Amino acid sequence: MRNARAILLEALCVAAAGLVFALAANALSPRGLRLSRNYFPEIAPPPGRTSSTGAVTTGTVTISGKTPGDIAQRLQQLGLQLVSSNEVVELFRDPRYEQGIVVFIDARDDQHYAAGHIPGAWQFDRYRAENYLPAVLPVCLTALKVVVYCSGGECEDSEFAAIMLRDAGVPREVLFVYIGGITEWKANGLPTETGTRGSGALLKTTP
Amino acid sequence: MNGTATVSNKAGASDVFALLVRWLLGGMFLYMGLSKALHPVEFLKLVRQYDLLHHHLLLNFVASSLPWFEIFCGLLLVFGVAVRGAATMLVAMLIPFSLAVLMRALAIYDAGGLPFCAIKFDCGCGAGEVFICRKLAENVLLTAQAVMLILWRNHRLCLHNLLFRSVPVSARG
Repeated sequence: MRNARAILLEALCVAAAGLVFALAANALSPRGLRLSRNYFPEIAPPPGRTSSTGAVTTGTVTISGKTPGDIAQRLQQLGLQLVSSNEVVELFRDPRYEQGIVVFIDARDDQHYAAGHIPGAWQFDRYRAENYLPAVLPVCLTALKVVVYCSGGECEDSEFAAIMLRDAGVPREVLFVYIGGITEWKANGLPTETGTRGSGALLKTTP
Repeated sequence: MNGTATVSNKAGASDVFALLVRWLLGGMFLYMGLSKALHPVEFLKLVRQYDLLHHHLLLNFVASSLPWFEIFCGLLLVFGVAVRGAATMLVAMLIPFSLAVLMRALAIYDAGGLPFCAIKFDCGCGAGEVFICRKLAENVLLTAQAVMLILWRNHRLCLHNLLFRSVPVSARG
């Protein structure tokens, strides 16, 4: 009995010391999370917006759908526009892309962005928005079309990033989400750029 | 001999075995904790997929502190400090975590036509995508190791014992 009590006491001491260690390590780590930030906010759709079924949406929409149909419906409820694979290719080849009138935004982290992004795309890691928004926002505010993408599939970062840009002042009408993401882009055999934006290091992918 | 309890300086085979178990378990938790701590956002997304923590403060707290807590417990085991307390904390983490993984796997099993052991997903364990049966077996093994360390009475080959062990009476002159 005394032995069990001693073990429990030791475990409590380990728990307390471990908690202090964990919180301190997270606070000191450059990759640490901010405890108070809501990384997955429930997003309010535009007021009075009519859904595809004709019903007026109210309240909040949680991001939980998994199939492409679910994602498309949810994005429409959020007031975001979708862009198809073919449209993305057209926009990429549009001369306005070179002029900055069409802008691509990659919502993934540093590691994935550096491994390969759509050539010329700006990085906007929404989990560290403060690091990217000062560069990305002016570009988006002057563009006529802003296409946001992430990995594709179940990745939700492009949706959250688009909402953040919308909340930062980018007009809803110019924001588009490419739900196929970089996975579909590569599957279509389109080139990717490695390293930083404008590095010129292009990778040709085979479909 | 005056009857004073002493700790033998000689380490037996069982002590070496306990040391190996400690290093194995501690090393596993160090590796798993580090792989999550280095990619906290990825871990945050995985924790969210369990749909168990609905308040963002709780979600952030678990995702930010759990990897470092695992590292802390792993270090204690590797160096042999507060071994039984650290092992108790590992059991306290492993059991609910294994149940959560099992519940999620059962939900996937109910939704699709896959055989249970063919279900594979990233459970947030720090090792990427794993087959569920293998993960559960691994967790049972890790829990058994931790329980063994709790029940082990004398952890001789520990930093704590090396620093603070009793000196045999005969050696005191």
